[in-house]
Amino acid sequence: MLDVLNILTVGVLLGGIYAIVAVGLNLIFGVIRVVNFAQGEFVTFGLYGAYAAQIATGMDPYLAPLIVVPVLFVLGAVIYIVILRPLQNDPMMQVFATFGILMVSQNAILALTGGVAYSVQSAFIGMSVSLGPIQIGLSRVIVLAVATLVTAAVALYLRHTRNGKAIRAVAQDRTAARLMGIRVETVYTLTFGIGAALAGLAGCLLSPLYTMTPQIGMNFILPAFAVVVLGGLGSVLGAFVGGFVVGLTEALAGFYLDPALKHAVIFIVFIAVLVVRPSGLFGVAGAEEVGLRDQN
Amino acid sequence: MTKTELSRTPRIGSFAGELPVLGAVLAALGLVLLFYSDDSFTLNTLAGTFLFAGLATSWNIIGGFGGQFSLGHSVFFAIGAYMTGNLFLKYELSPWISLLPAMALAAAVAMLISWPVFRLRGPFFSIATLALTEVAMALAVYFSTWTGGAQGFSVPFKRGLENMIFAERMNNALLMLGYVAVTLLIVCWLRHSRLGYSLQAIRDNEDTAEAAGIAVLRTKLIGMGLSAALMAAGGSLYMMYVRVVDPYALFSLFDVGVKVAMITLIGGIGTIYGPLLGTLLLIPLENLLRAELGASVPGGNLLVLGVLLVLTALYLRRGIIGSLIGLADRMKAARA
Amino acid sequence: MTMTRRAALMAALAGSLMIGAPAGAQDGPLKIGAVNPYSGPFAQYGDETTRGYELAAKQVNAQGGVLGRQVEIVRGSATTAQEGLSVVEQLVGRDKVDALIGTYISSISNSASETALNYGKLYWETNALAMSLTERALPNYARSGPSAVTFAERSVQGVTELLSKVVGKAPGEMKVWLEHEDSAYGTSIAEAQKELLEEAGVSVQIGAHSFKAIDLTDSILRAKADAPDVWINTGYVIDTNLLLRTAQEQGFTPPVMMTVGTGDTSETLEALGQDYLEGVLVVSYPRADISETYGPGSDAFLDLYRSEYNRDPIAPQGMNAYFGAMLLFEAIEAAGSTEFEAVMTAAKAIDRPEGSSLTGYGVMFDDTMQNVRALPVIAQWQGGQMKAVFPTSAVADGVALVNLPRQ
Repeated sequence: MLDVLNILTVGVLLGGIYAIVAVGLNLIFGVIRVVNFAQGEFVTFGLYGAYAAQIATGMDPYLAPLIVVPVLFVLGAVIYIVILRPLQNDPMMQVFATFGILMVSQNAILALTGGVAYSVQSAFIGMSVSLGPIQIGLSRVIVLAVATLVTAAVALYLRHTRNGKAIRAVAQDRTAARLMGIRVETVYTLTFGIGAALAGLAGCLLSPLYTMTPQIGMNFILPAFAVVVLGGLGSVLGAFVGGFVVGLTEALAGFYLDPALKHAVIFIVFIAVLVVRPSGLFGVAGAEEVGLRDQN
Repeated sequence: MTKTELSRTPRIGSFAGELPVLGAVLAALGLVLLFYSDDSFTLNTLAGTFLFAGLATSWNIIGGFGGQFSLGHSVFFAIGAYMTGNLFLKYELSPWISLLPAMALAAAVAMLISWPVFRLRGPFFSIATLALTEVAMALAVYFSTWTGGAQGFSVPFKRGLENMIFAERMNNALLMLGYVAVTLLIVCWLRHSRLGYSLQAIRDNEDTAEAAGIAVLRTKLIGMGLSAALMAAGGSLYMMYVRVVDPYALFSLFDVGVKVAMITLIGGIGTIYGPLLGTLLLIPLENLLRAELGASVPGGNLLVLGVLLVLTALYLRRGIIGSLIGLADRMKAARA
Repeated sequence: MTMTRRAALMAALAGSLMIGAPAGAQDGPLKIGAVNPYSGPFAQYGDETTRGYELAAKQVNAQGGVLGRQVEIVRGSATTAQEGLSVVEQLVGRDKVDALIGTYISSISNSASETALNYGKLYWETNALAMSLTERALPNYARSGPSAVTFAERSVQGVTELLSKVVGKAPGEMKVWLEHEDSAYGTSIAEAQKELLEEAGVSVQIGAHSFKAIDLTDSILRAKADAPDVWINTGYVIDTNLLLRTAQEQGFTPPVMMTVGTGDTSETLEALGQDYLEGVLVVSYPRADISETYGPGSDAFLDLYRSEYNRDPIAPQGMNAYFGAMLLFEAIEAAGSTEFEAVMTAAKAIDRPEGSSLTGYGVMFDDTMQNVRALPVIAQWQGGQMKAVFPTSAVADGVALVNLPRQ
């Protein structure tokens, strides 16, 4: 019984990690429909940004979002305008371009650091809270809490602000949105910027948990795609819940089956869900059929 | 004037009509080999280039003609390599023979796993194929009887044509050229076959194709099976060429799965010679960058390659072939 | 004592150099191709390994070179087996190297060395670990450094000879958890460890994980449930750090924690802090700061490294590579050429006891051309520094085990 509780706790906390990584991707993939390989790199920038901020000013990584988030918003917007917007009618070329961005980013970091692994320092590292017999790492609790807050904030933003409504309109039907006078391009730029900024936030919050290497972003990106598609494209709640589905599946499979197989299990579950319910758990039915063609 | 006009209208053409061009292309590639016949380094680069040309041409069948943007073709590549490697090690079966079961197995697996996944379209399909790669790799690491687990296995250096193992790089290059020839020949046929037209109709509009009476799922499955079988043949050749395999190399997203798609996009997706052109550009460039920059700045070669890829995406949006056609169109418009 | 031994070694080396140098030596440098990954996830270690070769070349050049020629190290980058094959074509075909040396990754070594054999070139291995490499018995292939099996042997010796005292149990009563990352590196070492431990009667549980995993709590909880006396992990830096951090959060405190291959660098110290690491054991290549009695010349290497790169070596792979390159130069000198048959014969004739070189290695090649006297050492984190604690001969004066069993 204790085992079960412990594993469920681990799964929920891991779900928080996936949820915070996926929330930005969900916006980008769900609204702009770009398979953005570079999304993991935005997380990497967040991680290294927190490290750089600490080296430069001694700042605690939990304060680093104050700098990193705006920087990544601008970076995301610029990448969208310069690279992805010109390719909006060639979705496959977009995939390819984001892949190029990924290579540039990984290898630029490698060239700068020589591949030496870095870690940040924070007062919270290694601290844990005990819930009865269950141990919980404090830094993971923070991630879970922020993931919840950010999801709520994004949901409110999309529901109640003018820009948010525009984003939703474009996600649902680009052509109709354009006919309604929404400036689709501006919405996309905004969305990409927000998506990148959220990934940067995730990176900062994850920095106390991980040792950074130039390739680390890739470790997040594939599960994050699974989370987003599983939860349902364009559904903020879906990405949040999807995070926990993947987190719990991984924790249970890792403990009861074999840690070496957990990766396979989450992707099998992912494919199974996708096949049974292609729109994801919370997605709008039919979204998956929009596919690549409906881009004009 | 009328002459250019004629060449501009989409030619229906025929399989036989493609053969002279194919023959000329292959002869040109052969001449390149002859030209470098005493430069082992270049011959080896060419062998690798031709291998990828064949792989990309195979991918193009379902990815380009069929419009199903698979990022999981490394699975079929790996099936070919494992099958040939195992049959060679355990039963000393010549790779010339084991090619056949390798291709058959890959086609069967491809059709089986694609059946459900073909319900998905566009980026969803791509992501699902990515996930399949991850599953396959994890299983290959875990169930080690046929794969050697994480450590993989290697095939001893037993020279001989029957083993496809050569000391002379020229022979490797010729073998790979043969692979390119076979894949191109099949694509030339496909381009003008009922299957090919159906695939292209599905790519252009799945619903219209269905309305026009094309059995969409069956066509996609056959296209995928053919593509996977040829991919597996490439895997078999790779096995006997590099002779060391492990799951991380075979299922590599970047070195196989994404690369074949990327090469095709660079060259011209859905065209017969696009994948070949893309490979002729990308693989030697990659080798050159690695040789010149790889040792001086860590990651320097891949950094430059990444920048070039982004630029290619931006400025060769329709691939080399598409851009050439576009250029010809503009020149014609200017003259008119 | 220390000084005389080092001086004697230097003198012997210098002497052999002078005898070996023929009067009409060939013009141009002696080119050695250095095959390693200089990009990708292992770039840092590829670079560090080749730095060892370059320092060795610098050292030997200052003493007149090899065969009267200056040694030049030509870097060739390979991150996969296929690139290992191409890079040898490039180094031999284009750069005209006389021999090859490498490699941080075993699969690259595998394809690169066979390609080298095609050209009749020597492939001198210093760092790759897979046992299968020497088992192939390629005529052009020798390994000067430890293999996966020697790493396993050393860690198992540590368990049965050192740690059984620490936990106060006979080997037959001990429980060991073997955690390993699931690529070739971790798997090959862990499998060898399992076999050796079971031979010694130790009860063993084994767990594998991906070094790319985002969460390793499951691996720690499984180990915790087993309550082992000794927890051993063979992994890369990032997963080793994540495991240790998770163990800390989960309150997993086995009496002994040991890592194999990694975990001895500032990268781990920065991540975990010296308080938590206090007492953690690491089985690794001998470090430049091992005692001068065990590794005569290691201090000089450290000075050389610092003066060249203005920092301390991050990882100990470089010194192991330096040893290998120096031994290669010596063998070439003795052979009078870079022909692999001659170099192999010359290398086989060298017979030196353990503790005779800067890494503490001896030299004795077996029939598969594996140097059987190249052994890793076990070191321990003490006050934020690594101190060698096993074998006893490697232990510096005044160093004793600390914080074992762990508090």
